[in-house]
Amino acid sequence: MLATPAPSSSETRDNTAFDALLWALSRPGLPRSLPEPGEASIIAALLDRECRVHSADPLLMPEIMRTGAELTDIEHADHVFLGTMAGIEPLVQIATGSDFYPDDGATIIIRARLGTGQTLRLTGPGVDGSVTVQVDGLPDGFWAARMSHMRYPMGFELFLLDEDQVIGVPRSTTVEVL
Amino acid sequence: MSLSTLTKPWEAMSYGFLDGSAKRELRRKILKSVAVPGCQMPYASREVPMARGWGTGGLQVSLTLVNPQTRVKVIDQGADDSVNAASIRRFIARVAGTPTTMDTLEADLIQSRHRIPEEILREDQVLVLQVPNPEPLRSVQPNMSIARQMHADADYGRMWLQLYEQIVRSGRVMQGASYPSLVHGRHVMTPSPIPRWDVPKLHMAKHLTILSAGREKRIFAVPPYTRVEPLVFSDVPYKIEEHGALTCTRSGTKGFFMNEIPQDDGSSAFEVSDSEWGVKTIRANDREAETRGETWYKDGEMPQ
Repeated sequence: MLATPAPSSSETRDNTAFDALLWALSRPGLPRSLPEPGEASIIAALLDRECRVHSADPLLMPEIMRTGAELTDIEHADHVFLGTMAGIEPLVQIATGSDFYPDDGATIIIRARLGTGQTLRLTGPGVDGSVTVQVDGLPDGFWAARMSHMRYPMGFELFLLDEDQVIGVPRSTTVEVL
Repeated sequence: MSLSTLTKPWEAMSYGFLDGSAKRELRRKILKSVAVPGCQMPYASREVPMARGWGTGGLQVSLTLVNPQTRVKVIDQGADDSVNAASIRRFIARVAGTPTTMDTLEADLIQSRHRIPEEILREDQVLVLQVPNPEPLRSVQPNMSIARQMHADADYGRMWLQLYEQIVRSGRVMQGASYPSLVHGRHVMTPSPIPRWDVPKLHMAKHLTILSAGREKRIFAVPPYTRVEPLVFSDVPYKIEEHGALTCTRSGTKGFFMNEIPQDDGSSAFEVSDSEWGVKTIRANDREAETRGETWYKDGEMPQ
């Protein structure tokens, strides 16, 4: 009889982090819990030497470098860590892929505060009817800039991170600011 | 930085068979496929100890998603006990230590070849479908570069033409399985070779569906609450198989998708395709505790 395989602690962390990200993106607007606060578990679950990464937050650099991912400027990056955003300028430079390969659109991770501030109504795939969320800490005009920068199926995926809580906003989601 | 921080402790085998880089590749591509419902995303499909075309794509997704708490169900054409299903289920349990089940309602993750279970799946369940041919345009455009251009342009005229030709030639749409379906109003996908009976179950479903083709190295997904509309002409309605009035000879259940079993005298007997549903019905007939959940089809009809 073979021994039952047991996951290592890093495997458990990556699996839990991905589970949170997958369900956050499948059910936009509903918060999920990462195994620990901050971007570290997302970096470990998704990034390796295949990736090109841009980080506006220098504190994440050691973590990203450890994965072996290539550091690049924002328009060529497939994973972008924007930390807490001061202005919307970075948003318009983000890669949105092409109609041929929509998967070349980037994945963006932003720090925000969930449960306070601006009220948003989300509709689209993964949302049963509509869902409202409150998000604070994003620059003015963020959602308008997102909408004008994307033309479905081109676009990018957003993960809004508040400590260990994460909500996903895929490109297929329509966001209304109430 | 030291060498020890760059390495991981030695392990006899990666948990869940796939190594870290294979899992990260699948994670990234699963996220993208959920974000663009129905769009085929290319991915680096790895070798697994199974021949390509026997469910390697589905297996890779399952192995990426599982943890020791994930209860796994594997079906092959509706049956839990066929060789392919039993082998995949045993393999996942052996390399990932997961509990297994045959009950649709108990399962957290269902890997399936060519059927969707008859009981309604919940919001926390994931359905992984094995896909032999992910390209719905292949029969009308064998050049995959041109097919990609057609997907980019949402140019699906030839799909309609194909359906029209079938109606002209045969009086009805002849497409039996993998009926082309429009997802989220943008991408036409093949729902894997599930029968026409199963396609309406994907429309605005509560569960997440991930479709993965290991040999063709493409992955696509249908998130919960997403429109999945079979391509039909407005004056030729979509038709499911006429199984609504058939009765299973073994369990007596009626109004579900059936396997036809030819008899010696030239007639046919029928047996319910979802084997666990048949088992549950037999148990209920024997006055054991009721374990059947709510089904998509009621009295052989899909409620609108």
